[in-house]
Amino acid sequence: MPLRDSANYQDPLDLLRRFIPTPYRTRFRVGGASVVVETNDFALLPELPLETESDESFPSNLSWKLVRDHDAHGLLQEPLHLMCGGLTVVAMGAACLLGVDRERRELVGFIGAEIDPRTFHESLVPLLCRLSLEALETDAAEWLDDWNEDAADA
Amino acid sequence: MSHACHFFGLSGLYARFRATVNNIVTATFVCDRRTLPFRTEFSLAGTRCLLSTNSHNALRLSMPWQSVLNGCGANFFQMKIIESAAFESEASALPHFRGLGHLVFAMLGSKGFLNFDLLRRRVIGVLPPAAARDAHFWNTQLLPMTIGLLGTTVGVAPLHCACLDRDGSGLLVAGNSGAGKSTLTAALAKRGFAVVSDDWTYIRCQADKLLAHGMFAPVKLLPDTIRYFPELRHAEAKKTMNGEIAHEVDPTKMFRSKVKAQSDPKWILILERTRVAGCSFVPCRPETLTQFFEKNAEKLPQELPEALRMRSGIIRQLSACDCWVLRTGEDPMQTAAAIDTFLSEM
Repeated sequence: MPLRDSANYQDPLDLLRRFIPTPYRTRFRVGGASVVVETNDFALLPELPLETESDESFPSNLSWKLVRDHDAHGLLQEPLHLMCGGLTVVAMGAACLLGVDRERRELVGFIGAEIDPRTFHESLVPLLCRLSLEALETDAAEWLDDWNEDAADA
Repeated sequence: MSHACHFFGLSGLYARFRATVNNIVTATFVCDRRTLPFRTEFSLAGTRCLLSTNSHNALRLSMPWQSVLNGCGANFFQMKIIESAAFESEASALPHFRGLGHLVFAMLGSKGFLNFDLLRRRVIGVLPPAAARDAHFWNTQLLPMTIGLLGTTVGVAPLHCACLDRDGSGLLVAGNSGAGKSTLTAALAKRGFAVVSDDWTYIRCQADKLLAHGMFAPVKLLPDTIRYFPELRHAEAKKTMNGEIAHEVDPTKMFRSKVKAQSDPKWILILERTRVAGCSFVPCRPETLTQFFEKNAEKLPQELPEALRMRSGIIRQLSACDCWVLRTGEDPMQTAAAIDTFLSEM
């Protein structure tokens, strides 16, 4: 269930929804990287291979913070990619806003209320993986090709 | 570019993951020296904005702000603006702002898309040609939102209050939402006060002295204020950035009042509505004023401890101003007259 416990954004003032709690947390492997995902909506935990290294002190390569935004309506629009130095920003209308900071190894994003789990997993998770691998300067295309080959063999 | 791929998870648990991707990447913009060949700098609320762009329109619209570069502080931020006809968005979409950590996203409907990086003190964005050449959009929305979001990273504290100037002394009018700050600002403008700002005032410290800056944003009056301002009969109420229907009024045109870019804050009023007739000015203790502004300021992320310290320092310095809670049961015109009389006796 998504958490809605920050419905009062006025006291203290949090018009940008920066402080919505993201209590669901897990680790995945994306390519050779360990990714920690935090979210306020269980449905936004991606169906990726779980990290087998259970030690919390084990450093992750990248962190994702994904916030289900109940006040952002509408479906995904055509993506706009904006890049500047170590920062890549992707906007797909108000329904999906993503930012990847390569220097800080962080990916943050708001996912709109009307993005269902299927759309999230089929359209957005692959994009998140690609952005993550690019941020880690891994050859995303090669990794995706490997997975596709594995898929074909299965 | 279009591509499809399939993922299969390879964990030891044999968990399987499969997804089909059809990302149609229609617009990719890169901000670098090659794509943004034009450079200039201008001043916003006493800070320097270093603009890089590919847009002649953006250069032209920054020119009026270049005239106040002298007297700017050393703090600066970068603005990288791409003008592109490839930007497309729903024309009816309302502006939508979201932030996580040091990044803030601003979807501006048909006006464009911006991203603010508070750690690197930088705003990057894509504007369609219509917005890139729209002076009203630049002066009343884009530049105020830029200093509002990046201000705390360059020594400027955006505070939710109006600022007026009376013979060289600044009056800040604060109050909770709905207290009537904008209506009172318009009433004071009609009495001869110069308008510095309406909704947001940008305070910075220069040589141990506070300065309150405005951004020439219009005064926003709700349609029901027409009973106090008959001039509004000829003005059209429109949907504003936050979706409210309101008259956005240029006080120089509507009330023939003066505007000033900045003022020295001397007095502060915290406006409260009451059902009791008359106006009372109750002295306000510095700690009460500090608490009020801290409570009404946007929470800042932990990534910006210096910005938080700077803003709190400015708020503490403001508490040295003469401050009163103004409880009024009068209409805005009578309240403005009472303020005028009260300040003239100070």
